[in-house]
Amino acid sequence: MRIGFNFTLGPTLELVQQLIAERHIDYCELLIDNFLQVPPAELAAAFDCPVGFHIMFSKFLENDEATLVEMAARLRRYIEVLRPIYVSDHVARFTHEGRQLYHLAEPEYRRDYEAMRARVAWWQEQLGQRLLLENYPSIMDNGRDAPWFFQQIARDTGAGVLFDASNAVCGQRNCGVDLTEWEPVIDATNHFHVGGYNASILAPTITLDTHDRALGADTLAFLERYRDRFDRPGATLTYERDDQIEYDAIVQDLSALRQIFTPTPELRHARIA
Amino acid sequence: MPASPEIRTALLESDLLDALMVPARQGEFARDSRAFVRLDTSLRAYWHTLFDICPELLSLSGPDGLAIFRPFMAWAAERQLSMNWTYYLWVHRWLQQSPFADRLSPQLTLSLMAASAARWAMGDRGPNGGIALGSAELPELVVAWKCHTVTGGREVECLSLEEPLPPPEGGFGWFTLPGFELDNFPGWSPIPQ
Repeated sequence: MRIGFNFTLGPTLELVQQLIAERHIDYCELLIDNFLQVPPAELAAAFDCPVGFHIMFSKFLENDEATLVEMAARLRRYIEVLRPIYVSDHVARFTHEGRQLYHLAEPEYRRDYEAMRARVAWWQEQLGQRLLLENYPSIMDNGRDAPWFFQQIARDTGAGVLFDASNAVCGQRNCGVDLTEWEPVIDATNHFHVGGYNASILAPTITLDTHDRALGADTLAFLERYRDRFDRPGATLTYERDDQIEYDAIVQDLSALRQIFTPTPELRHARIA
Repeated sequence: MPASPEIRTALLESDLLDALMVPARQGEFARDSRAFVRLDTSLRAYWHTLFDICPELLSLSGPDGLAIFRPFMAWAAERQLSMNWTYYLWVHRWLQQSPFADRLSPQLTLSLMAASAARWAMGDRGPNGGIALGSAELPELVVAWKCHTVTGGREVECLSLEEPLPPPEGGFGWFTLPGFELDNFPGWSPIPQ
């Protein structure tokens, strides 16, 4: 398992470079649309490791086609120069009746499936390469249809899933989607996310995807339980931290992930007597 | 209206979308329900986007900000404001016709302009490199640039030009800059709703 860290803004560059230099991470995931004014070669030179691309604000389900065509053309230049391990985007609602949502909303997967399928296929074509779609940290019952959606959309469009393990844990805690429902999704992808979450201060039984603290015990237990399903040749696991960005705390979580995914060849390749 | 318990049949995001920007709707749900928390999560994002960036507003409203936040959000919902990068400029517009009108200072106006310009620079994904904002009431120009170096972030400047631009009509005006130089003035565009 290659373990990575997300890079979202310039001020954390030094921290990310230190993680690379000290071999805490094997690759870096760039929130690529934050850097579309940075020359691709400059971006490539900043990272002495492979990179993945995560797109945050394409709003590909909602934006007009002309805007997306222009944006895809610029993204393709970065894809060409930086050769990312993967390119991923978000399946979410960014607006409601033309008004911006500051906390993104989860789509209605079954009701809006056909429109979403068409847009995913079209956006993937614009990007010129396979697109991975990240699962949402469900609060409401939309999440119940999420495992079905991500399997179906992959079958219908060839897109993959950037499976966020802690988002799935949020969905389990908030709307009862059993983690076993995600097994076919986990088996079909090689690229994963994980991050910290927090209990709502208003209702501690409700879990919010916050990326501001250490990984939850049940997230680590999930990864450990499914370790052999996650850990396949070429697999990546990005640790996301967007708030309370403290080097030692991040290293501690990365070490916990390393411990789970440490190869154990003596078990897998037992000697023939 | 007393809070009612959350209905335990499927409750979807679409059942809540109309309420995600309306503080008054939160009271329709029990405080420990997912719906209440979902609305709270949404409303907190708008609150923090306003007061974390312009904390001087709290000196007008009081420490919880609610004397500004609640009536502004209701006013914004009535007008179906897009809540895009112009958020802070519309807060300024609301303040001008609020009980706080006589406490607005040029510094607060500049701060709200800078916040809006910075929000454009953080969130716009078009090819332009910068944005300039002007006010009919102030001689300064607020300019924000998108992140264009790997070590940098978005940058905001307040400029006093030797030859000031003509004032925009209708309070504020804006124009975009294709590169990273303030080298043209295509005229003011009105602030979008």
